[in-house]
Amino acid sequence: MLSDIITPDLFAAAVRIATPLALAAIGGTICERSGIVNIALEGMMLVGAFAGVVGALATGSAWFGVLCAILAGALLALIHAFASINLRTDQVVSGTAINILALGLTGFFMEVIYGHPGTTDSAPRLMPVFNISGPTEGVLGTIWTWINGVFLSFTPIVYIAIFIAIFGQWALFHTRWGLRLRALGEHPRAADTVGISVVRGRYSAVLMSGALGGLAGANLTLEQVGSFTEDMTNGRGFIALAANIFGRWTPGGSYLASLLFGFADALQIKLQLFRDVIKIPSQFFLMLPYVLTVVVLAGVVGRAVAPAAVGKPYEKG
Amino acid sequence: MDARMRKFLALFVACALVASFAVGCSSTEDEPADTTTDEPMTEVRAAMVTDTGGLGDKSFNDLAYAGLQMAEQEYGTEIKALASNEIADYEPNIDQLASAGYDVIFTVGFLMTDTSMLKAPEYPDVAFGGIDQFFDAPPENLAGLLFKENEGAYLAGVLAGLATLDETLDDRINADNTIAFIGGMDIPPVEKFEVGFIAGARSVNPDVKVISLYAGSFDDQAKGKELALASIEQGADIVFAAAGQAGIGAVTACLEQGALFIGVDADQYETVDEAKPIILTSAIKRVDQAVFQVVGQVVEGTFTGGITEFGLAQDGVGLAPYHDFEDKISQDIKDAVDKASADVIDGTVTVPATRDAL
Repeated sequence: MLSDIITPDLFAAAVRIATPLALAAIGGTICERSGIVNIALEGMMLVGAFAGVVGALATGSAWFGVLCAILAGALLALIHAFASINLRTDQVVSGTAINILALGLTGFFMEVIYGHPGTTDSAPRLMPVFNISGPTEGVLGTIWTWINGVFLSFTPIVYIAIFIAIFGQWALFHTRWGLRLRALGEHPRAADTVGISVVRGRYSAVLMSGALGGLAGANLTLEQVGSFTEDMTNGRGFIALAANIFGRWTPGGSYLASLLFGFADALQIKLQLFRDVIKIPSQFFLMLPYVLTVVVLAGVVGRAVAPAAVGKPYEKG
Repeated sequence: MDARMRKFLALFVACALVASFAVGCSSTEDEPADTTTDEPMTEVRAAMVTDTGGLGDKSFNDLAYAGLQMAEQEYGTEIKALASNEIADYEPNIDQLASAGYDVIFTVGFLMTDTSMLKAPEYPDVAFGGIDQFFDAPPENLAGLLFKENEGAYLAGVLAGLATLDETLDDRINADNTIAFIGGMDIPPVEKFEVGFIAGARSVNPDVKVISLYAGSFDDQAKGKELALASIEQGADIVFAAAGQAGIGAVTACLEQGALFIGVDADQYETVDEAKPIILTSAIKRVDQAVFQVVGQVVEGTFTGGITEFGLAQDGVGLAPYHDFEDKISQDIKDAVDKASADVIDGTVTVPATRDAL
């Protein structure tokens, strides 16, 4: 039984499931560190997922699709930036509106471009980076299956996400950019007095989070499944939001939190395999990753302190 | 930016957001069939409200719409479909159609059961057809249209149970005596697919291991794919997905990992292009027939409420053609499927419908 659960694919699935969450969560981290709440990650991911497929189907190039996804996510984020920074609207309201807008826009453009709702045709996908054939027999074969499965079986954006998490972690705490970003979220007035433009800094942070949300969407459509389905993000943006908080507003923490959720979800799938042995309704298994997130969030992590100025519009003067 | 400018921009953004809400409630409307030919034969107007899977699911909701289109062709009925993006859209969509004067409204899907029961008495002049919905004591204008999904899935199970043993059928068939079922949400119609599939497979192959996994969603393709990958890793070589659009993710997994696929609701050989090389058959559910028949009853004035069940005997469920596998599937297997079908129709075999009855 245990050997059916603990397989290379359990860990590989955890990383696959974690990737879109982590990218969006890091986007959330950057955005909230600058002082802007971003609950529109879900919408940015959805729009990115859609734009990625449109770009890839139109040109036949998956990488061009990824570019489209990033731009579309950033474009949607521009609305959020404008509403929260220039108009000083409530950031939660703006984010909610953008999530609904994203659902409507993708459905609408699906009709306009493809003439039908639901699921698009399948687009060209990004294939795994490495394709190395190793030994298949004996102990060496088993070891190779594990190494290949857990470390080498992934598509490009999965590795890009890990890089972004590590690089982002370093940049946030060891570069001038990171210091300024944190200042914007903790005490924008102080940042302003020393000559850092609050508006420009926050704009770039919100756009960056949109781009990362879009990239997360591209991972879903252009790497994982190959076609777009309306509302296919299925709440991942909100889990990403939780992962950001759980990761204490750090890129590395966001990634690890997403990985924990991804692992719980992958484990849940494996446990479902034994549904006929242990007679428990499937809903119970489906609930596990979310329960785990709540438990960890409430119990293990302890008090997570948000950036002091997050959610507060900044008025110069 | 001065204050007036800002107010103007705020107004503009507000309008844009309101407009986006309107886009969110997008609807699909077809042109009347042929404006150049004869007058419509009937004044009856028929409409449907989709469940959250929405139109374009290439299975369930699309089939209901196909039924409306058949009615449009046959009777010249004016038709309309409203999509529900979330469960909260069900009621306003029904209100909108009923107040627009539609004579028959189909509410598509088990999840709309309570909504149908709530709304039918509010509009006594409108006929309601609730697909996949069971009612204890429905009002006169409400018909529950149920399918014996378990009977169609039983045949799919017989096919898969025998095919997984026949390594000459296709090089994707492995030595493991394992097949898989992937469900969307764990609700009665999907459970009937699951149970029928398992019963069918065991009837011809008592030792078969049937993995059965649920996605908890009908449109999370990535989840559907992960479920299929997990079952293929366990040795499953045939995956039967009754999971709406999440099932399309399962197709991707089967293509990547080299497994065969059985579709659901519609003949997915026709609707999911990329599945063509791996799709054995589909456990079809003739929602289109049910919708078409009920519109016919309304047109002819013979509509009565109550529960109607569509099974193998009524041609309401069954298996789609084998298409590309027509020549690969051995005659023995085909005969076994035909025999199972005959047994179910003449009552020799009763297919269980719930896990407890399995």
